Amino acid sequence: MTERAPADAADLVDPPGRPSGAAPRGAGVEVSGLSWRPYGRARPVLHGLDLRIAAGERVLLAGPSGSGKSTLLRALAGLLLTADSGELAGEVTLDGEPERRAGSVGLVLQDPGAGVVASSIGRDVAFGLENVGVARDAMPARVAAALAEVGLDLPPDSSPATLSGGEAQRLALAGALVMEPRLLLLDEPTAMLDADTAAGVRAVVADVVERRGLTLVVVEHRLTGWLDLVDRLVVLDGDGRVVADDAPHDVLAEHADSLVRQGIWVPGAPEPQPLAVALTPMPLASAGVVAPGERVVTGTGLGVERRSRRLGSTSRSTTAVAGADLSVAAGRLTALTGPSGAGKSTLMAAVGGLLAPTSGHVDVAAPLLPGSGGSSERPRPPHGWPSVDLARVVAWVPQRAATAVVGRTVRDDVLTTARALGHDGSDAETRADELLATLGLARLADTDPRHLSGGEQRRLAVASAIAHGPALVLADEPTVGQDRLTWAAVMGTLEAARREGAGVLVTTHDPGVVDRADHEVALVRPPQPAADPEPERRPLLARVGPLALLVAALCVLPLPALLGSWRQGLLVLAVELTLGLVGLLAPGPGRRPEGRLRGVLARLAPAVVAVAGVAWSAWLLGGRDLEIAAGAALRVLCLIVPSAFVVGFIDPERLGDHLAQRVHLPARPVVAATAALQRLQSFDDLWTELMTTRRVRGIRADHGLVRRGAEAVAVTGGLLVGALGQAAGLALAMDARGFAGAHRRSWAGPAPWRLADSLAVGGGLAIIGAALAARALVA
Amino acid sequence: MSTTITASGPLTRWRTIDLLTCAFLGVAFGVAYWAWGLAYEAPATAVSAGFPPLSALFAWPWLVAGIVGMLVIRRPGAAVFTELLAAIVSALIGTQWGLTTLVSGLVQGLGVELGFALFGYAVYSWAPLLIGGFLGGAFEAVYEWYSYWTDWGFGYKIAYLFLLGGSVAIFGSLLAVGLTKLLANAGALAAFPPGQEARERAAV
Repeated sequence: MTERAPADAADLVDPPGRPSGAAPRGAGVEVSGLSWRPYGRARPVLHGLDLRIAAGERVLLAGPSGSGKSTLLRALAGLLLTADSGELAGEVTLDGEPERRAGSVGLVLQDPGAGVVASSIGRDVAFGLENVGVARDAMPARVAAALAEVGLDLPPDSSPATLSGGEAQRLALAGALVMEPRLLLLDEPTAMLDADTAAGVRAVVADVVERRGLTLVVVEHRLTGWLDLVDRLVVLDGDGRVVADDAPHDVLAEHADSLVRQGIWVPGAPEPQPLAVALTPMPLASAGVVAPGERVVTGTGLGVERRSRRLGSTSRSTTAVAGADLSVAAGRLTALTGPSGAGKSTLMAAVGGLLAPTSGHVDVAAPLLPGSGGSSERPRPPHGWPSVDLARVVAWVPQRAATAVVGRTVRDDVLTTARALGHDGSDAETRADELLATLGLARLADTDPRHLSGGEQRRLAVASAIAHGPALVLADEPTVGQDRLTWAAVMGTLEAARREGAGVLVTTHDPGVVDRADHEVALVRPPQPAADPEPERRPLLARVGPLALLVAALCVLPLPALLGSWRQGLLVLAVELTLGLVGLLAPGPGRRPEGRLRGVLARLAPAVVAVAGVAWSAWLLGGRDLEIAAGAALRVLCLIVPSAFVVGFIDPERLGDHLAQRVHLPARPVVAATAALQRLQSFDDLWTELMTTRRVRGIRADHGLVRRGAEAVAVTGGLLVGALGQAAGLALAMDARGFAGAHRRSWAGPAPWRLADSLAVGGGLAIIGAALAARALVA
Repeated sequence: MSTTITASGPLTRWRTIDLLTCAFLGVAFGVAYWAWGLAYEAPATAVSAGFPPLSALFAWPWLVAGIVGMLVIRRPGAAVFTELLAAIVSALIGTQWGLTTLVSGLVQGLGVELGFALFGYAVYSWAPLLIGGFLGGAFEAVYEWYSYWTDWGFGYKIAYLFLLGGSVAIFGSLLAVGLTKLLANAGALAAFPPGQEARERAAV
């Protein structure tokens, strides 16, 4: 098989002014003798696979977990070697050609948002156009058309971070469609969505494919909804071989039973039953302490405000939960439902003591409180409890099961909390082995949990959560995207916890889960604080481009060679402060901006310590002369004060635009860097999630410098693993949109140089001028 | 390590995942660098009360990003790209050294890079790690002589250079090798030479 040659892809592009009369049509696909063995796997995932798909044909690809469906999809996109390495043989051709024009194959991945590259949805859709060098003024019309085609009627400058799952999938689809693909590949595009949203996304896909006559290949393990939309159903078996390939209803007539056995959701098949999980009781478990039906925990009037921070802009506060009441009863399953953005996960975390609510209070049943509980004062809320106390009572299964891993082996992971609580007797071991056996993980007991498949990790996360018998079990969307087998395992485990007397709280969109719940609590989206009608005035520095700000702040670099005394330093510092304060002025109409000086001072605070350190060592060495110490301190201050003023105004994406277009830094590294910078907030979230996991599993280092240091290293490792996982997903999405060959790309964002930029650089030069003048005039 | 696997294709032809992995490592390390900047001052000031160049013993973590980037990607420029981006990110969040951190990131990355360039980007064992680590630390020390330690005598400056170079070469390399191994064993480096080495070892 020939991989797409990156250097040539840009030359194969259709000219941007393609006459609209030539409607795009689907491509015929031919796969012959395709084999793929990733390094380190004994057996190939695909072995000599042959498949023909006619132009315009619509194919649904199904098979058990690990059957190579996603692998085949990547092979069709020519992206197998993008994020993995291994032995590849055979050929995939599009209309008989092994080469592909950039963007001729569109790919939408399972995780909404996994492929977002830009800070606005318009810019994100334009990404593929940039890669093939479409002129900037031709972009807005094509972007608007693509957004309209998928029914995303938001302004193009909206942030992708605020999109719901369904909107994010439409955005990904628009990003593919703008490249005029001839083959559309969808990798479980609706697995993470609730039923209504999924139906909406399917309707958009059906509409687009019909209108454009595209060839379509969809991978899903929930077949309902897709069957009427496709011409063919292709079923792979566990060894990556085609076992059925015909009209959907013919395949189902013959293979429905075996598909159900393999875990595939087949329409008309009876709902799966939760697995019967019988467990040895844990002697010291907190589950069962509260009588069935009594309240384990009650949250009253809970409110949670969230601050999101982005580099180069002010932080925004959103209301995640407002005035919510929620109680969980022992021995009952409570389902928390509501649309995406309603704050289900946040409310669950607040009730379980995983985060501190901004308002309201959480009361845990008295027998579950840590310590003797005899004191008359109001007990501490659970978000203040030490790790071990929390772990004894509360368990949490996060939506991303991969972040829940804390043990070195699967069995270790299940036993972690019991050991942390000192409950590691033979009962705990027996119970862990029972759980692993029932959930089909026994043969993996000694495996590193990070190497498990997604479904296996999900089962492990639930098993590890309930192994020590906690009184309150929190599970965040535990069944989303799972096949029938994992669904049955997860629900069976949660029901076993309920039988033991635990209060089980589940956020879910899954009707199958809601049906089995004792209570349903439906949330609605909390009202958001109204946007200010009058826009803020912008400080002068905010009107300067990022490159000019960077250059101005770096003008300080000659200063150490120029400044010889504290008097000279003081003079230059005065010039810097004057220029900086002028830059903070915000003339013009509008509301007065807040917190300008506070931001600068906050950035200078750590610098004070650094300055003191330098001054100290200069004093020590300079014969304990205060003038020498002051000179050293002022020299360092002069180096860092300008940065404190400008840093808050540098937007990374615009800096990328300037660095690529004005300084002509290589385009692809610049794009990669700005795309990674867009994820800064998600690193923050991941860090919090990893730390929360450790806390609720009873292994958070609450004190001790060495233990905390070791924990920081461990969590940093987890953060890096997560970050590289994101990088791999993003690489797929970017290469599917022609980034591999984008050596001469265009830019959707302009990089103008205005008067304000020249003035800012002038200000920087004035600092050097002041230093030269000080040198000449002051001793 | 029995055999060393180098990056696929021509070494200068960066794949998208090479760029993104460097970029994501850079951003993640940038956050860590910023955090280390907060933790660093107290112990560094404490040890420098007696002998100022000893603060070098707390400065070596700032070179780990470039070393990890090079150990993972194994292409020319990997150390400079990762280290520079980490420096930019920590500066944009806000370190005590402001945007001048960029210069540190650049010279540190160049020093590490040089160590691996000397071996033609074909060797990823201790020799280039020690040389690259030392050079990265030494380059940074020279920049700091100029910008921060102007008042120091030559003896202190030389001591600082060797302390920083030596601690990066030893501690920095150890931490970078450890992190790379951790990532490879976690299955996060499937598309990269260290991940392939780990998998081929496991496959035996």
